[in-house]
Amino acid sequence: MSLVARYLERNGIPTVVMGAAKDIVEHVGVPRFLFSDFPLGNSCGKPHEPDTQRFTLDLALKVLESAIGPRTTVQSPLRWNDDGDWKLDYNNLERMPPEEIAKRRAEFDKVKQTALDQRKKAGVA
Amino acid sequence: MGGFDFALPQRQFCAMADTANFAPDFDAPLEYMRRTREYYLALGYDNPYRWAHYIDAPFQPLKKKLSDSTLALISTAAPYQPGKGDQGPGAAYNAGAKFYTVYSGDTAVDHDTRISHIGYDRKHTTAKDSNTWFPLPLMREFANQGRFKLAKRFHGAPTNRSQRVTLETDAPEILARCRQDQVDAALLVPT
Repeated sequence: MSLVARYLERNGIPTVVMGAAKDIVEHVGVPRFLFSDFPLGNSCGKPHEPDTQRFTLDLALKVLESAIGPRTTVQSPLRWNDDGDWKLDYNNLERMPPEEIAKRRAEFDKVKQTALDQRKKAGVA
Repeated sequence: MGGFDFALPQRQFCAMADTANFAPDFDAPLEYMRRTREYYLALGYDNPYRWAHYIDAPFQPLKKKLSDSTLALISTAAPYQPGKGDQGPGAAYNAGAKFYTVYSGDTAVDHDTRISHIGYDRKHTTAKDSNTWFPLPLMREFANQGRFKLAKRFHGAPTNRSQRVTLETDAPEILARCRQDQVDAALLVPT
């Protein structure tokens, strides 16, 4: 998605990315980025909390309007929860017993095959 | 314009006072690239994904006031596809629900979009409220209030992990569709 932002921007369309994976978006490098420090899937605010969604969109628009140069990142001041413990869960091997890793390995082999078949069918493999 | 609107309840924000009682070190933006590399290595996948990376980034200022600008939504969410397996809420990763060409939708009506084809946080998110990844209804509301003009179509960007296809096919296609709709600016929401 960051690649699309760059492409549009380079071709005359100003962009703002609303995202939650700060390292990835900044590694690619985008013109404007509103970062929400939330679990992936919540770039636009918290579930069933329209006030946080409104706040987040409003902030993204302000970043779009006011950034003075590329690679502008603004971090939303909203917090997902008080302790931030969710950050220790995502794909964290240290919190996974060996049998869980084995199970995921088997699932992943299946997913890889499905994705490959799909890409072949779509002619992009 | 102005700064943050702190009308939201205080519990939504970090503590503001600087004391020597620092936040724990882990409570910083998650290192997804490192976490992902280590995770897939443990799953026996020794050909790590290489994320796109550039030193510079392009920049175009808005050509007119936002209220006079036509804004397009670009999303990685997929349209719900009956017959393509469980797409949630709460579904396991479903590669079968991916899409491989750019699609567009009428912004005047609601759409059932899903993110089961993406590696979102399945432990801490149920994906029950699509407004957290597809802000079209809220954008319509903002446009009705005169904040910007909403482009007549939104666009779906494939996430097929081929950066070459993104660069050479999908991005040009999205640009062409934005130009057809006289779009002045774009809001992109990756998941």
